Amino acid sequence: MRGLDLSLPVWALATLLLLALIGLPIGWLVALSVTGEHGLTLAHYVDAFRSVALRRALWNTVVMAFWVGVLSVAIGAPLAWLTARTDLPGRRLLRALVMASFVTPPFLGAVAWVMLAGPNAGVLNKLWRSLTGREAALLDIFTMPGLIFVVAIYTFPYVYVMIGNTLELVASDLEEAAAVLGAGRLTTARTITLPLVAPAIVSGFIVSVLQALALFGSPAILALPAGFHTLTTQVWGMFQYPPRIETAAAVSLPLLVATALLLMLQRRLLGRRGYAVVGGKGGTRRRLALRAWRYPALLGCFVVMACAVLLPYGVLARTAFSRAWAQPLTWDNLTLRNWTFTFFEYSATRSAIVNTLELGLLTASVGAGLAALLAYVARRRTIVGHQLVGFVALAPIAIPGVVLAVALFIAYTRPPLILYGTLWILFVAYVTKEMPVGYAQCDATFRTIPAELEEAGRILGARPLRVLGEITAPLARSGIIAAWCFIFIGVIRELSASIILFTASTKVMSVVIFDLKEEGQFGAIAVLGLFMIVMTFGVVLLMERVLGRDFLGVRE
Amino acid sequence: MKADVRLVGLGKRYGAVGAVEGFSLDVAAGELVSLLGPSGCGKTTTLRLVAGFITPDDGEIWVGDRRLSSRDAVVPPERRRMAMIFQSYALWPHLTVAQNVAYGLRFKSDVPRSDRDRRVAEMLRVVQLAGLEHRYPGELSGGQQQRVAVARALVVEPDILLLDEPLSNLDANLREEMRFEIRRLHEAFGITTLYVTHDQAEAMVISDRVAVLERGRLAQVGRAEDLFRRPRSRFVAEFIGKTNIIDAVATGPDTVARAALRLRVDAKDLTAGAPVLVSVRPHEIELSTGPVPRTPDNAFAGVVRRASYVGTAVDYQVTLAGTDVTLRVTAPVTVRLAAGDTVAVRLDPAACVALPPAP
Repeated sequence: MRGLDLSLPVWALATLLLLALIGLPIGWLVALSVTGEHGLTLAHYVDAFRSVALRRALWNTVVMAFWVGVLSVAIGAPLAWLTARTDLPGRRLLRALVMASFVTPPFLGAVAWVMLAGPNAGVLNKLWRSLTGREAALLDIFTMPGLIFVVAIYTFPYVYVMIGNTLELVASDLEEAAAVLGAGRLTTARTITLPLVAPAIVSGFIVSVLQALALFGSPAILALPAGFHTLTTQVWGMFQYPPRIETAAAVSLPLLVATALLLMLQRRLLGRRGYAVVGGKGGTRRRLALRAWRYPALLGCFVVMACAVLLPYGVLARTAFSRAWAQPLTWDNLTLRNWTFTFFEYSATRSAIVNTLELGLLTASVGAGLAALLAYVARRRTIVGHQLVGFVALAPIAIPGVVLAVALFIAYTRPPLILYGTLWILFVAYVTKEMPVGYAQCDATFRTIPAELEEAGRILGARPLRVLGEITAPLARSGIIAAWCFIFIGVIRELSASIILFTASTKVMSVVIFDLKEEGQFGAIAVLGLFMIVMTFGVVLLMERVLGRDFLGVRE
Repeated sequence: MKADVRLVGLGKRYGAVGAVEGFSLDVAAGELVSLLGPSGCGKTTTLRLVAGFITPDDGEIWVGDRRLSSRDAVVPPERRRMAMIFQSYALWPHLTVAQNVAYGLRFKSDVPRSDRDRRVAEMLRVVQLAGLEHRYPGELSGGQQQRVAVARALVVEPDILLLDEPLSNLDANLREEMRFEIRRLHEAFGITTLYVTHDQAEAMVISDRVAVLERGRLAQVGRAEDLFRRPRSRFVAEFIGKTNIIDAVATGPDTVARAALRLRVDAKDLTAGAPVLVSVRPHEIELSTGPVPRTPDNAFAGVVRRASYVGTAVDYQVTLAGTDVTLRVTAPVTVRLAAGDTVAVRLDPAACVALPPAP
């Protein structure tokens, strides 16, 4: 929009942000990783990668991430196809459950699975023993396969969304065109449908791997007791006494580079999938009748959703109302004690709830506002170099939470800005981490508001600010509220950056849940976890109402 | 207030590509001029320059004695006293029909608040939308949305009205109806109007004058009939209506030749030996079954290659005997010939327009 020259202020702001959120921290990260007592050195890298422990952790991370990717695709792809293309009964419920798994904080799922499948006290193991009379445990969650399983059941929704969205775009007439030419059902699936969906599958795999690489909570809860490390837990360990910050920096950088490379690979794949987004309209979709396969398919879905949502939520709810979570649920064992303890008596949980809510509200409001401003100027090309704005806003996607935390820790424990020890450093971490999500949402919003709607206002006599207030803002409102919700949900569940940046007075809920796990306070964990889940669902519902569409972004 | 528009040497580049180059055009007060051309010819860019959405790299835009645009200073759109009808209509989906139409009146200091409702109601009646005031744009048909866009632009009584392909989203029948409607409204209100379209029939029906654009430059401007009968380039001849083009060489001030074919054309100052293009409209070629007359100019023997009955006329392809020239001829249905028939073909010299060869 001409006449409203935002170039200077926006660029000043964007540059400042870039510096404060990414430039300064990553700059320090690089600097510290190559600085020794006597100037430049590569000693930290040599130290880090010569250590057997770290090499093992690296290998564990690769193994875990790879299998999480495989398992996520194995779960997510069939589920997406079943909901998008077949007459599977209960598709709406299935989608709702996938959404629940999507928004469940992974570390909460990991804690729940400790209660379900811990080798000694795990509920499922006790059930097994009482049913079979055997001594040995059926399941041991404190193993590599256990870890992979628990991570994958909260990662597969990424694959589900990507494949679901692509299947929505592949109209049945493409498949029918093949059928008319004489291709059988299997041939059509192999030669038409699968190649069209293939980029989504590969890119879903990569995104799952990235999620697994960056995850801290689940490995910390499941791998550490089992006696093995991943990269993220190693980096976290370097912040325990005695701190080895330089080594942490030297480990963080390769992780950052690996993430960025994988992400670029995924972008390339998606960038070339132009052919998959074929046909604007007229794409009706037939549903395949499953016939005899209906019930086996339904059972499969049920098992997955039981593992991801029903069992964990069940055990959390049960624990929240029990005196002793491992004991059978009898009248004697029922109590509200955990709730009063968590909300009123235990000061750590109380202040964590307050901190989390404060940070959530503040980050969501500032983040959504900023994202909206940046997305607007980038999309309307109102300023010189608008392409860079989008790049900067989306860049933090490539920074794993732990790496971001290490970088922020280094940058803000020294002048000019000493933020460490305050909530502000968490705020900076959260705004950075959530900016890509908020930006993408706002950008999608402004994409649906043609510039002509604003120009029509201008030519009829309205000044730029008035057009912004009377035309753009009302039209963008629901999209920006949705961005707010996305950010809020992201903040209240954040653990991997918080775990490095918190101090005694700035604990947040996720960190406290992690602490309580160390102390074995499962009752309070369950209460906090349920509170977190209820709050998340509340915000999700608000957002679906405002947007008038499904959280996962696929039409029914 | 009626105002004239003067575009003086306008230029606008996007990167190395010149969207508009050296474009000059005068539009008289109360005149309706179409900017006609294929997509990518710069017509929409020109309109957006006039609206003030973009800044010219060269040239100036004047309305009356106000200089609105130059490369140094651009009066913002909201102070140009213009109105625009967009291809997409650009109706605000969160406002009702009445609110959409009333929007521009708020910025007109000479329209008292109490007068707005009356004016909106009056304008909605003019565009036959009375009774739909409280609908939202999403609840209207395409044609109704188009009328809202028209009402919203006219109610502010702009000095200049800009239309950007306003009919291209309508179905064929409605489009023809709306052509006359827009012409009727123009005659009723007399607002100086620039009308962008790629549809030559639409431009010819609606406009006082048509400006044909070719690759960012003004190819020719004039009344529809002048453009049709006296095109000055191959581009204009082919873009306005259908035509036959014969690639020939001048043999005298008013004669050309292509191999054995000798033609007298409507020109007086051709230089012998210079390449010339001759344009002949298909419906200006006469076919007859008798022997080829000896005396009149431009009479030849020909063979019918193909005949296509199209209802109001018959389309023939006729090859002139002893030449490689095949002409498209539109003849009345009273003359019925079949492929293979021998015919006499006559090209009226007055209908043979000599054009400079394409650069």
